Amino acid sequence: MKEQKITRLVIVGGGTAGWLAAGIIAAEHFVDSKINLSEHSFELTLIESPDIATIGVGEGTWPSMRSTLQKMGISETEFIRECDASFKQGTLFKGWKTGQDDVYSHPFTIPHAYAETNLAPHWQSFRDEVTFSEAVSPQTALMFKGLAPKQISTPEFAFNVNYGYHLDAGKFAEFLRRHCVKNLGVKHVRANVIGVISAENGDIESVTTDVCGDIQADLFIDCSGSRALLLGEHYGVSISPKSDILFNDTALASQVPYTEDNDAIESSTLSAAQSAGWIWDIGLPSRRGIGHVYSSSHNSEERATEELLAYIGSTVSPQAADTATIRKLNFTPGHRSKFWYKNCVAIGMAAGFIEPLEASALVLVELSAAMIADQLPANRNVMDIVARRFNEKFLYRWDRIIDFLKLHYVLSERRDTAYWRDNCDLSTIPESLSEKLGVWRHQSPWHRDAVHVDDMFPSASFQYVLYGMGFVTQQNPIGSRTDREAAKVAMKLFEENGKIAQRLVGILPSNRELIDKINTFGFQKI
Amino acid sequence: MSNYVILNNTDHRDLKVITELGEAYGSNVMHAMTFPMEFRDVQSCYPILFCKDPESGQFYPTALFGFEKNQNLFLNEDGWDATYIPMMIKRHPFLIGFQADPDKGEDAKKPVVSIDMDNPRISETEGESVFTDSGDNSGYLKDSMARLEAIHRGHEHNKLFIEALLKNELLQSFTLEITLNNGSNNQLLGFYTIDEEKLHKLKAEALALLHTKGFLQAIYMIMASFSRIRPMIDKKNALLP
Repeated sequence: MKEQKITRLVIVGGGTAGWLAAGIIAAEHFVDSKINLSEHSFELTLIESPDIATIGVGEGTWPSMRSTLQKMGISETEFIRECDASFKQGTLFKGWKTGQDDVYSHPFTIPHAYAETNLAPHWQSFRDEVTFSEAVSPQTALMFKGLAPKQISTPEFAFNVNYGYHLDAGKFAEFLRRHCVKNLGVKHVRANVIGVISAENGDIESVTTDVCGDIQADLFIDCSGSRALLLGEHYGVSISPKSDILFNDTALASQVPYTEDNDAIESSTLSAAQSAGWIWDIGLPSRRGIGHVYSSSHNSEERATEELLAYIGSTVSPQAADTATIRKLNFTPGHRSKFWYKNCVAIGMAAGFIEPLEASALVLVELSAAMIADQLPANRNVMDIVARRFNEKFLYRWDRIIDFLKLHYVLSERRDTAYWRDNCDLSTIPESLSEKLGVWRHQSPWHRDAVHVDDMFPSASFQYVLYGMGFVTQQNPIGSRTDREAAKVAMKLFEENGKIAQRLVGILPSNRELIDKINTFGFQKI
Repeated sequence: MSNYVILNNTDHRDLKVITELGEAYGSNVMHAMTFPMEFRDVQSCYPILFCKDPESGQFYPTALFGFEKNQNLFLNEDGWDATYIPMMIKRHPFLIGFQADPDKGEDAKKPVVSIDMDNPRISETEGESVFTDSGDNSGYLKDSMARLEAIHRGHEHNKLFIEALLKNELLQSFTLEITLNNGSNNQLLGFYTIDEEKLHKLKAEALALLHTKGFLQAIYMIMASFSRIRPMIDKKNALLP
């Protein structure tokens, strides 16, 4: 076998996944766009169909997006101005526990002093007086008040409390395209892929386009959306459906303008539980993105639409509900049985899709592209090894996402509809999750639970959801001397956290105020 | 709180302004904005650093008088002990503002002088007269107005100066660790200074550009002003019990 070097990469698909992957890989390998492109050892081409509209999955990111943008050499000020972006500090879950007016927060900031002390056991005795997330993190107070995570004098990408973004996915893809083409040396081809030419070993040798001929490459990255043109249609790698665990398979999405231009912008994703699904509510500077994701086997489109419009009517205005246009999306919850096959790897919706309950879509794109960039095989011979590792890693990650999303449902006390009852049916709960729940009944999650470097959610996230939903961990009664010492330390930490929260509430502007200031002044780089 | 009103020679005819400097007149400030045009004088007395306006996040050069809020090490019972007092300190209680000037064109603006009527310097019995008996501007007011105009030009100049510094990435954050004679450690946070390493690596063209605009001299004066930190630490030590 000849030692075929990997020097040419082709990305098929120009949505958020395609351009984000292009940016991440190009930033790693074409560090300086001023160097003559012919001197590069790599060539990255993105083929974008001029005919297919992008879906624009994911209007919420994780905090990881900050370093992803920074590595690409993007200015945070420009990003916020051009992508209609705002700050996200976590999620507020409404009605998940009882279906009434219960609400809890899952902030991005881990509990105070988390590295040394697990405050969860100490909070148990105060659970009736203060919510867990308020007791351990200053961020919850900021989320409920819609405050920003930083000030205008805070340098770009730095923060007072950890944050990610809400953004306009369509604008984000365009913004990334301009940056990739102008600054990172990515070649942009506008054409439809109409065929695949195979090599003798079963690899893809080239893709045939309608207007730009055949385009050869050593590695093809399939970002063509749920169709998965290369991995799905060409190679026939199928979806492993997860609808037996996570029932939601339909989304009704709408974009709703604010009533007044200076209406508050929420600094959290709002997630409001419904009869057979939940409604997302994401505040951008210029509009809100509101949608209903539900299980089509538990709810009709008509009833789901009614629930969505009722939400818009009560949280925005009856007029907004009357004029809302709704777009319907069907999806099979699940992921491909493998993501990298031969010389083809799928990213984004081509790899899989699951309800956006914890905004896992974009972070998976970031992680996938980062691994490809980091471990880009030097030649064809080692590619199969990298592919195997990639598949193992991402299958594990998908499982962890599924476990974590399912956790939100199994803790619910709601029994008002078949949907909520079915969600708690033991046969729908993965064994890996049941096992963890068993352990957590007697000890709260902490560092010992992160056994794997590829765990998607930190143990702190499990704490926030478990105790936000009212889960009870039966403590060993506190009695020994060291326990009493630890309790004293914990009381001090609770107090500190309260003081930090109070100080931050005093100095931080509202999300809207900060966005306005960014438009006027911009952030400093230092 | 301040209460600025537009200055005029009818309402304010008998007004006097106390020009002494001291805590009673709000001179106990830790630092104050300064401008390249006065750097030569400022650097002979005070360290020049940069800080950010909390309302806009924009940088500006500032003269340092103390190491903590409301502390001015140059103040003593006799007043402000230094050979040069920065313009932003001497401007009080006046402020320059701008009004539309339709006589001179659509976007034209004319400077107007405002005065802070709640400022403790305002008096009817002591200090400098603002207007003469005949209602003309007094020599003191003329000087004050010239200073206000200089400050106005200084703001514009600062904007360009900061732009040039940021473009060349010449600012870096700066933390001063001070150990006093009593062994206590103090940290000065939230200030920025010139990144000398980056300055030394600047290409000839970039340096020439800074030079033509007069910014290179300003940069070196800022670097020279650092020798004023030591005397301030000595003052601080002298105050220790």
